[in-house]
Amino acid sequence: MENKNIDDILALSKELRWQIGDDFHDHLAEGIYADAAEIVGDAITKKNKKNKFSIDSKIDRIVTSKTWGFPIMFLVLAVILWLTITGANYPSSLLAKILLNDFHPLLKNLATTINTPWWLSGFLIDGVYLSVAWVISVMLPPMAIFFPLFTLLEDFGYLPRVAFNLDSLFKKSGAHGKQALTMSMGFGCNAAGVIATRIIDSPRERLIAIITNNFSLCNGRWPTQILIATIFIGATVPAAFSGIASLVAVIAIALLGIFFMFFSSWALSKTILKGEVSTFNLELPPYRPPRFWKTIYTSLIDRTLIVLWRAIIFAAPAGAVIWLISNIYIGNESVAAWIINSLDGFGFLLGLNGVILLAFIVAIPANEIIIPTILMLTVLVTGISVGNGAGVMFELDSANATGEILRAGGWTLLTAVNIMLFSLLHNPCSTTIYTIYKETKSLKWTTVATVLPVIMGLIVTFLVAQIWRIVF
Amino acid sequence: MNTYDPLNALLIFIALSILIYFLFRPAKGWFWIIKNNYRTNEKMVIEDILKLLFHNENSGKILNTNNLTQILNFNNSLIIKSIEKMTANNFILLDGEQLKLKPLGREYALRIIRMHRLWEKFLAEKTGYDKSEWHERAEQKEHELNTEETNLLASKLGNPLFDPHGDPIPSKTGKMAIINGVALSTLPINTVGEIIHIEDEPDIIYKQILAENIHIGSHIRVTENNNTRVSFFSEGEEFKLAPIVAGNLTISILKKDIINEGNIARLSSLKKTEKAIIIGISKESRGENRRRLLDLGFVKGATVSIDLLNPLGEPNAYLIKGTAIALRNNQASKILIKKIN
Amino acid sequence: MDIKVKSACDTCAHFNAKGLKKLGVNTSNFDFVIALAGNPNTGKSTVFNALTGLKQHTGNWPGKTVTRAEGGFEYNEKKYKLIDLPGTYSLLSTSEDEEVARNFILFGKPSVTVIVVDASRLERNLNLVLQILEITDKAVLCLNLIDEATRNGIEINTRTLARDLGIPVVPTSARFNKGIPELIQTISEVASGKIWCKPHRIKNIPKNIEKAMEKLATKIEKEYPTIPNSRWIALRLLEGDTQIIKALKTQEFV
Repeated sequence: MENKNIDDILALSKELRWQIGDDFHDHLAEGIYADAAEIVGDAITKKNKKNKFSIDSKIDRIVTSKTWGFPIMFLVLAVILWLTITGANYPSSLLAKILLNDFHPLLKNLATTINTPWWLSGFLIDGVYLSVAWVISVMLPPMAIFFPLFTLLEDFGYLPRVAFNLDSLFKKSGAHGKQALTMSMGFGCNAAGVIATRIIDSPRERLIAIITNNFSLCNGRWPTQILIATIFIGATVPAAFSGIASLVAVIAIALLGIFFMFFSSWALSKTILKGEVSTFNLELPPYRPPRFWKTIYTSLIDRTLIVLWRAIIFAAPAGAVIWLISNIYIGNESVAAWIINSLDGFGFLLGLNGVILLAFIVAIPANEIIIPTILMLTVLVTGISVGNGAGVMFELDSANATGEILRAGGWTLLTAVNIMLFSLLHNPCSTTIYTIYKETKSLKWTTVATVLPVIMGLIVTFLVAQIWRIVF
Repeated sequence: MNTYDPLNALLIFIALSILIYFLFRPAKGWFWIIKNNYRTNEKMVIEDILKLLFHNENSGKILNTNNLTQILNFNNSLIIKSIEKMTANNFILLDGEQLKLKPLGREYALRIIRMHRLWEKFLAEKTGYDKSEWHERAEQKEHELNTEETNLLASKLGNPLFDPHGDPIPSKTGKMAIINGVALSTLPINTVGEIIHIEDEPDIIYKQILAENIHIGSHIRVTENNNTRVSFFSEGEEFKLAPIVAGNLTISILKKDIINEGNIARLSSLKKTEKAIIIGISKESRGENRRRLLDLGFVKGATVSIDLLNPLGEPNAYLIKGTAIALRNNQASKILIKKIN
Repeated sequence: MDIKVKSACDTCAHFNAKGLKKLGVNTSNFDFVIALAGNPNTGKSTVFNALTGLKQHTGNWPGKTVTRAEGGFEYNEKKYKLIDLPGTYSLLSTSEDEEVARNFILFGKPSVTVIVVDASRLERNLNLVLQILEITDKAVLCLNLIDEATRNGIEINTRTLARDLGIPVVPTSARFNKGIPELIQTISEVASGKIWCKPHRIKNIPKNIEKAMEKLATKIEKEYPTIPNSRWIALRLLEGDTQIIKALKTQEFV
């Protein structure tokens, strides 16, 4: 009985809809706004006839001007990156000293005094603890500087203007101007960059921003780039210029990342993402002076700590795996050595080697531990007597000493160039992959975002290796 | 490692890449062609023939078997076989060489056209595909959906009367709204009218129309019409078309005093110091995009002015109902305004 | 302190500061559910933080809160659970955010819906307010960022506004914690039924749509006599909203 009445209602609504026609939504929207105008006319008196606040107009005219708009943007980005990288140096090394140099031996001693079996203390202290400590000391300081600075700009209202200025560049590759910001956020941390894509409300452009965020060199990868560039690229020129040369190399890699970001945005929007709905609108909110301490506090809680926590959760098992593969033996060889041997041929084809490939596989959870893992594995297979034993990651104080180990592991300039390229172009870390899944709720797009950069990395390093070998 | 040589490796890679390119490049890749050929079956051929006959009969042309083999891109034996089957099923009447639709065939053709146009409407409203792709995709889809799915799609779209090109969509029972319009190329100078239909076939001409940024629902005034050129004035701009292109635009003639043409312009043409009142949003802006514009306050009667010009040309920020909203030029060109002082 | 906060209702009971306890995320055993709706970038999250004592990040950047956030406060021995809905311009479109917001107001049946608006952009914000008032009749308008409006020479007669909208209006400046006590007091009075709202209904609808809507609404009311938003459901049916059709069939409105 009831259902029949409801069917009646639905039938009636269909018939009425047919009569009203296509313009229903337009008329309704117009009607609501007409009501709004009447009510506002009733209740509001404006002393100021202008529609917009005068200070806002002044700021806007400067930050979006043809002459000043772009220099201001680059200056702001440069200052933020500079503050992050130099500012993080000191606390990072302090944390590393405390957590790695002081606390780690202390824990080991403690374990020995209470007679913990070697495998348990190795697994927990050398594996799990060390990788977590590493991630914290590399990751925490830059993020604790980068995110609050970024958040201050956000709260002030400058970021929408950046999107406004840059949109037409992004439009050419099928993306949204706001991607400029999620990309910049990616320079801090890709996982945070992916979360930041929420500001893009057009489905297609948001997916593009999520999938291409990994091409922003994140702070887990900056140190790798800088170290390798210092050791190998810097050494190719006279000592006086080595600093400049390695700096140029690192910047070139970051710019290459931006190029790949545009290129894959374009390719994605022309192929698999063609059918997703695409809309555009960008509101330019009024400027509001940020509440400094509140902003710092919330950005620390909301962004830095959440991302750090996720990273730690993923880094801990990675450390365990690294320790296990170096300490479990099949016959005469450890699992690690066995995998390295079987990957060596493929690695050679890419201008890399088995150690590097294995390091990139086990370090999927955290890019921060790539270099320590490579060093440990290199020592493991070459048998050099540095470091603290199988499965114990380490880093050396001097770049020269690191270089010696790597050269002993068979590294050349080509290896260095290709590892820099591959560090830019490989799968996102597992924190980011997980975040992508949470944001898209789609296995398909998560897979695309994970696999696409690896394929690009394989192709690019392969091409570079072959051409290099033909030319030199 | 003995057989390794970087040059060989590079050559193998290049060869593989070229192979993959030819296999999978969009539309013309061998893989897609084979896949399509595989899917081409009698059903598709029959449906395409019925559609062709229907359109031709509506414009008073009768086709024969030869015409079919020339027009359609299928192999001849398949066409002949399909014709036999269609005659057997009472779809068509074979009168010597001439083919005529029977009521059953006409009904079938209408059903296919309904699916095609509904799918175009769907693509326009609910997806991000560019309008130059709608037709091609609908050509595929029309063979895949069954009647039930079509009806479900129709009710989800709110049983629309017209497809995005302005063609009427046949109803469940095969009824179709009638278009009362004439081709633009036949109109004398100073005729005032509204564009109600843009023909999407042949593809080359349709793409030209799209490139000119001509919209359905725009009001026009013819300013020139001769053998080499048809020109008209619309929404503050002058358009010049070749007669063959103009022939694919259908115009419904309006009484002259309905529009005050001098004032109507597109929002994209607004200058920094000017102010305007919004007249409406062009029918070209659809689906989510259109609703978003309305929600943001781009409704009839609202006052709009330029807030900020972009250093790179677009998007520009417009001041509407007290807030600066940036729109790209392709959006702003679909908002119609009347400039005021 | 150039901000003068006036309450919309001069005879209202006074705020009882001792009765307030901010509960943060602890929202068990609540008595009332309060929904927080509003346009993007109106300081909605700031209001949320001010009410709950939480410190969610709030950006000057439309569209920050996408997922639903929850928090709570206790006032005069009643517990209130607060839901921060995603900021939207409207409830008529089909985007994910709008569906979350709309479904909560419609099916979650909050005791009170607090609509946060930007005082200097009232006209644009009213688009959403008027839509919400079609759905629910227990609402409070939180006229936020009133300091900005005053600074820019915009004067708002809150009494007229409250009369026109048919709901209480509370001017606030949540960034500086101004007006929050009044807001809490008003929320509690609407929740407990001390204040009765008689929300504004959209008037400027073209005749043919209005007729169709009334026709449908009468039928719906016959089926569900207690329904407060038959007009709005009628409008959604006319638009062909599949979700509402389904909800009607499964009788979710009862």
